[in-house]
Amino acid sequence: MAIRVSTTIADGAALVADIERRSGERVSACYQCGRCTSTCAAAFAFDYPPHRIMRLLQLGQVDKVLNSRTAQLCFDCMTCSSRCPMTIDVANVIEQVKMIADEHGIRVNKEKSIRLFRRAFLKNVRRHGRLHEARLLTWINLRSFKPFNDLAVVPLILRRKKVHIVPPKIRNRREIHRIFHEVNGNGGGNGNSDRHGGGK
Amino acid sequence: MRIGVFVCQCGTNIAATVDTEKAAAAGSLRDVHHAETIQYTCSDPGQRAIIDAIREKELTRVVIAACSPRMHETTFRRAVTRAGLNPFMMDMVNIREHCSWVHSDVDTATGKAIDLTSMGVARVRKQASLFSSKVPVTNRVLVIGGGVAGIQAALDIADAGLPVTMVERGPSIGGNMARLDKTFPTLDCSSCILTPRMVEANQHEQIDLMVNSEVDTVRGHVGNFEVDIRKKATCVIEEKCTGCMICQEKCPSRAPDEFNAGVGESKAISVPFPQAVPLVANLRKEHCRQFIRGKCGVCKKVCKSGAIDYEQEDEVTTERFGAIVVATGYEPYDWREAYPDYGGGQYPDVITSLQYERLLSASGPTGGHVRRPSDGEEPRQVVFISCVGSRDESVGRPFCCSVGCMYIAKQAILTKEHIPESQSYVFYIDIRAGGKGYEEFTRRAQKEYGAVYLRGRVGKIYPSKGKLMVMGTDTLSGEQVEIEADLVVLAAGFAAAEGAGELARKLNISYDQYEFLSESHPKLRPVETNTGGIFLAGACQGPKDIPGSVAQASAAAAKAIGLLSKGELETSPMVAAVNQTRCTGCFKCRDVCPYNAIEAVEARDGHQTARVVDSLCHGCGVCNVACPPAVISLKGYTDNQLIAETLELLR
Repeated sequence: MAIRVSTTIADGAALVADIERRSGERVSACYQCGRCTSTCAAAFAFDYPPHRIMRLLQLGQVDKVLNSRTAQLCFDCMTCSSRCPMTIDVANVIEQVKMIADEHGIRVNKEKSIRLFRRAFLKNVRRHGRLHEARLLTWINLRSFKPFNDLAVVPLILRRKKVHIVPPKIRNRREIHRIFHEVNGNGGGNGNSDRHGGGK
Repeated sequence: MRIGVFVCQCGTNIAATVDTEKAAAAGSLRDVHHAETIQYTCSDPGQRAIIDAIREKELTRVVIAACSPRMHETTFRRAVTRAGLNPFMMDMVNIREHCSWVHSDVDTATGKAIDLTSMGVARVRKQASLFSSKVPVTNRVLVIGGGVAGIQAALDIADAGLPVTMVERGPSIGGNMARLDKTFPTLDCSSCILTPRMVEANQHEQIDLMVNSEVDTVRGHVGNFEVDIRKKATCVIEEKCTGCMICQEKCPSRAPDEFNAGVGESKAISVPFPQAVPLVANLRKEHCRQFIRGKCGVCKKVCKSGAIDYEQEDEVTTERFGAIVVATGYEPYDWREAYPDYGGGQYPDVITSLQYERLLSASGPTGGHVRRPSDGEEPRQVVFISCVGSRDESVGRPFCCSVGCMYIAKQAILTKEHIPESQSYVFYIDIRAGGKGYEEFTRRAQKEYGAVYLRGRVGKIYPSKGKLMVMGTDTLSGEQVEIEADLVVLAAGFAAAEGAGELARKLNISYDQYEFLSESHPKLRPVETNTGGIFLAGACQGPKDIPGSVAQASAAAAKAIGLLSKGELETSPMVAAVNQTRCTGCFKCRDVCPYNAIEAVEARDGHQTARVVDSLCHGCGVCNVACPPAVISLKGYTDNQLIAETLELLR
């Protein structure tokens, strides 16, 4: 169905403005050269490649963008941002979309595990000060109700000494807490601890 | 003293924000015998009203409160002259750009307009009649740059009967156009249409051609420039060399081929290309064995006409010119550092379009057979990438090169003609084909020559198994695309010629952040610069195609001819004057004068004082400020006038 641009742009204006404010980028700066998409490593899995996300935002199609797989699947490698001829931080724009989708409680069904991973990752870093892989993997396996997932490789990983069973120790754990506190505004609970941290 | 005040309404431009009737109340000031508002003062009835008022009320001075003097000062000066006044007895007050346009509150704007008008009255009270003088001009034009624009300008000026000196930095005239194979959209052979012009310029009685030469310094001003031209030593006596090329054949030192844009090799002594004008060999010391190792002398031995002189030195000559046409052109943007994603120059088969032009050209290093540089194979899959160093803010070049879309279409067509089994792919962002026959041409490249156009910018090129993998996007389908290419041609954007900014500083003309030279007005003075007597032609002013450059060159020529046609120039009387009886002879004024307009005169007692050469003075007022005993004043802007104005404001 045709996009009724005369209404979508006005309807989406507030949210687009919000995305622009948070990211500090102007979506109107994009002239659709597609260089972001050219070398996007995840575009094969996206429903909208990065340049399309920018275009949809220009047309005020916020619904499509918020509900897109792109917003959930982008892993912030920032290649798009580094190659954009208009110096738009495309990854950051998508990041903001991701957060707003989260705040609006938008759940893209297939991407449940991604949300789970993001939450687990942040929780893990928050607790240990840096990533404790063993615990992260266990946590994810339990939470996703697949306790035996990837179990076969565990001895291999342990033998290579890539992953340690004992949690890492960092000197100033209090500082890490402070960072989380500041980013979250009020410290937040577990439920929204990934609100502003996103996947970073 | 009888002063008249005229306040312009400029339709609603002024009247909407300024109560002009109130502003005309400056008419109650001392000496003001007439005041009125006029709807459009610059119109014929408006001027008539001024003239009538001057005659009826016997006015001796006039204040006109209207727009900027930049707009209509000459109009009103002429009007008061027609009424019998000295043109400088008119003073313009700007109540539009400086008042009505920048304020929204009527009361404030009106108050300001009243102040400005009253100040004008105070100023004109102290005004004296001024008379301009005439200076003779030098009937000779300097053309800087020997590309197609320079050649066209030189020929036009010379055909009008004025002698021209054409200064070219390189060893031959012809510029970038001489490097092109064919031209869009007609596919004319570039050198076939250019070489006759080059020869004509060389043989024209009125044109003095100086190659291997550069402008050293420029003094003087419109009508009378004095220019030092440096002829660089090339170790070849131009008059003796016959262009037989035997030296090039025998020379043992290899050197990069500059004419062929770095494709192929040349020798340290060489004739730049077969149709070079003048056809003279040129020795590059940095590559020459004689200069590097101190012994060789092969070229001198083989030269039958004895044209080689290793001792040759730079020669500086000084000449006088009435006008200067700058046609320094462009060079392709050096993309290598800014685009590491495209290999940054590491991959031999990623070349610029100018290099590809040389591969296509029958006079190029491959004799017109397209062979890729790495292994000499004929490419089958050729990828063209537009906007490399254009429309790209991330590398600081946001502007459009304006010709890339067209020459890519041309090269795609020529590729198919050279290699019928080849396939061209063109990555574009927008197709800009806004000229006569241009759009049809780009369509032809697709329809008749089968070039595949992909709308998107390439992200990365990497080598893979003897091929180049091009990773791009086709935004129209929304898909990522990959092409296994044999050859990649980058449409490098336009950059100003090297040293354009430096030359501009010598000429005292302005240039933009990309070192393109600035025209005086983007619409109405496109070939003039802000410095009188200096005109612009071709791509030195901004990206341009050949017809655009030629047209601008003819326009610049017309301006130069027009300037010199009268044989003399009227000078502005608003120049500085020294009160010689009170001058202490410190010559601070001479130190600060940007135009060398101050000279020393000796009184009978041997005491030296400063004097202003009227014909050189621009009336900038710097000496006025610098003079310690304050005995220099600027006619039309005397200290007394400025003080009177200020006092009026404070009253």
